[in-house]
Amino acid sequence: MRLTRLLASAVLVAVVLALVLSPHDVTAQKRGGTLVMLVQPEPPTLAGYLSTSGPIGQVTSKIYEGLLEYDFNLKPIPGLAQSWTVSADGKTISFTLQKGVKFHDGQPFTSADVKFTVLEVLKKVHPRGPATFREVTEIETPDAQTAVFKLASPAPYLMMALSGYESPILPKHLFEGTDLKASKYANAPVGTGPFKFVEWQRGQYMRLDRNPDYWKKDRPYLDRLVARFVADSATRTAVLEKGEAQAAGFAAIPWSDVKTLAKLPQMETTTKGYEMSSPIVQLDFNTRKAPFDNVKVRQAVSYAVSRPAVIERVWFGWGKPATGPISSNFAPVGFYTPQVHRYNVPNGIEMANKLLDEAGFKRGAGGIRFEIVHDQTPYGEEWQRYGEYVQQVLAEIGIKATLRYEDVATWLKRLYTDYDFQLSSNWIQGLADPVIGVHRLYHGKQIRQGTVFVNETGWSSPRTDQLMDQATVELDPKKRAALYHEFQKLVVDAAPLVWVHELQFVTVHHKQVKDLIVSPLGLYASFDRAYLDK
Amino acid sequence: MSGASGRPAYVIRRLLQAVPVVFAILMLNFLLLHLAPGDAAQVLAGEAGSATPEYMAQLRQRFGLDRPLAVQLLFYLKQMLVLDLGFSFRHSMPVLDLIVARLGPTVLLMVTTLVVSVSAGVALGLLAASRAGRWQDTLISVLALISYATPLFWVGLMLIVIFSVKLGWLPTSGMETVGAFHEGWTRVLDIGRHLILPALSLSLFYLALYVRLMRAAVLEQAGMDYVTTARAKGLNEARIILTHVLRNAVLPVVTVAGVQVGGLLGGSVVVESVFAWPGLGLLAFQSLFARDFNLLLGIFFLSACLVVVLNLAVDVVHTLLDPRISS
Repeated sequence: MRLTRLLASAVLVAVVLALVLSPHDVTAQKRGGTLVMLVQPEPPTLAGYLSTSGPIGQVTSKIYEGLLEYDFNLKPIPGLAQSWTVSADGKTISFTLQKGVKFHDGQPFTSADVKFTVLEVLKKVHPRGPATFREVTEIETPDAQTAVFKLASPAPYLMMALSGYESPILPKHLFEGTDLKASKYANAPVGTGPFKFVEWQRGQYMRLDRNPDYWKKDRPYLDRLVARFVADSATRTAVLEKGEAQAAGFAAIPWSDVKTLAKLPQMETTTKGYEMSSPIVQLDFNTRKAPFDNVKVRQAVSYAVSRPAVIERVWFGWGKPATGPISSNFAPVGFYTPQVHRYNVPNGIEMANKLLDEAGFKRGAGGIRFEIVHDQTPYGEEWQRYGEYVQQVLAEIGIKATLRYEDVATWLKRLYTDYDFQLSSNWIQGLADPVIGVHRLYHGKQIRQGTVFVNETGWSSPRTDQLMDQATVELDPKKRAALYHEFQKLVVDAAPLVWVHELQFVTVHHKQVKDLIVSPLGLYASFDRAYLDK
Repeated sequence: MSGASGRPAYVIRRLLQAVPVVFAILMLNFLLLHLAPGDAAQVLAGEAGSATPEYMAQLRQRFGLDRPLAVQLLFYLKQMLVLDLGFSFRHSMPVLDLIVARLGPTVLLMVTTLVVSVSAGVALGLLAASRAGRWQDTLISVLALISYATPLFWVGLMLIVIFSVKLGWLPTSGMETVGAFHEGWTRVLDIGRHLILPALSLSLFYLALYVRLMRAAVLEQAGMDYVTTARAKGLNEARIILTHVLRNAVLPVVTVAGVQVGGLLGGSVVVESVFAWPGLGLLAFQSLFARDFNLLLGIFFLSACLVVVLNLAVDVVHTLLDPRISS
């Protein structure tokens, strides 16, 4: 008895000693090294405040920071703001900023930079900023560490749009009083982030070096970050395989090659880190004109497309059937519901034929009901395969589709300026909040000729507009979720689009690269935690 | 008229004649480009993933796209009169800077390809002709045919797979080892290693043409009276070929090579893309899709000038090779 007690205490002492004495750096990150990532295509500039283009964001998010970062539950966590409070009426948001933060040129970061960036830059020249910050009427700066946003009406989505990618904070002293669209800092950014811009060899690479004065202690771990540009997709795969680069994401590596690379022992793949992009692959109808002004015809096409087939055959298994306008990535915040009309059924073709018969489109000569032109998203191989697949299923339900593939500028003009289309493939990102990413496709006020990636189908309804308007200002997450649930039900019934699947991008990286994807921002995060384990 | 004294005057006259030609090309380029649907603002907004109408309007105003086409053309011609290539709004940089940055790599690849393909083509063509009808001739002709008929991108990718991924001898792509930041001679060597595969792919393609041209020309010259005369004089075969036949046979090769340099400038898009070589062809290609017309027009202007100068150079080389051709 005494012996066991003695033994027990000995074990306890040993455990405590082990805990106390064990070196803390057993799992610690290693300092040093150069990480080369493939960015495709090469960005035209590094003006992240003028464009939300993906390749720009993949680089600038290491240089510029935002007020907030986000965790995988899509909850805001501290960034340049160490804490914040939202007033009960939602019209005042007060941010307390981090202390001792310096821009790369040594100047201190203060609330004046926040005020200038939001009111003078993002609200004026950013592609999404005027919408995101439309309710922000004034920013008060009682002291250097406090920025108080005054809003005309509550804007719950605002808190989701403050990452370094979406709303980068710029140095006021370098931009104030200059022409923002012609700033020399567009190609040589100066931010507060973990990496400093060093050089850009056009057509080759961009070099960022570790910011030794970074405000997060001991970070970043990498000495250098290089973004490399390789125009050919097969070469990119070879570059990654040979280890000349260690990471690539979005569609830099074609889905067909991801499978091959994933089999290599040194490689790792992940689909995490795209939760704030939430792209959905769609088919967009022009609901202004026959035959797609008829809801039954739209529903028929929606039934005919087999989601599993598209995911398996075109996107090599990466994807998840979509149920409606809001991605299931929004499930953690409660906005998503699968309780909507289901088009993804095994007997889809049968249902589609029935609906088309009911709609009065009888099969004529050769079993053809009517002919259409199907436009394809001009973003590469898989989009052409997708178009060919759609052409085949449409043939099965008696719709003869002719495929049309144009370059990006021509296609955008056709869809969003001329409305000269019948059915087009497309993919749209749901972004960080439905107000920012989803409303634009369905709201009546978003039928804005000449503006890209808004409501080009021409469909809207008073009730869904009302639901979106309410959700825009609703602060209670539960009530907001209920509004979105009803919205999803109604939109899915009307089928202005076919929601085929939630596109899954894959990040491929060498196993030695650790902590690369640590938040829903994925490759748009700052990489301050990434390190090389050699 | 021919001869050393007349040559400089001839060159100057030809250059002056070229000025209106280049201007006509500029106007034509400008108008043709504006026939393409969509504009730079739309592409930029498209890449951004979203845009407000105000944003689009701001972009168009800034790019000068809100003005009538005729006004835009006048502005452009006025700029070109003082050789101002303008500003690329897409890249937020002067067009000249963008082009200059790409000019070095382009010229490097172009010259290497030209030297390798012309010299190897001439040598192999000569060899094939001197062994006409024998197995060497057949082998060279078949290989030339294969290398000409194989798609360039495939040759490039196969070279990468073999020499880079499998054997590990050479880098896959790029112009320098990224992240190494070499300097001095190590940098030169590094660039040299990166140059091998793209130059080889391009050379294989052009070489085939020169081999066939050279072979045909040598065979044609071999039947000429002056060759019979030389042989009757008792000159040996090597001397006949090298001093007499070669000089005449190489004329068509020079002509074609001159024309192809213009093509090499823009025609190496495929190789630049496959090997991530930072050249002008790829830049032009990307600018077209981005509707970055200022940049594209700048590249076109440079190509037009280059073609004019090269045509002149070819003509001068002709008079040097064959004094009978009068300028």
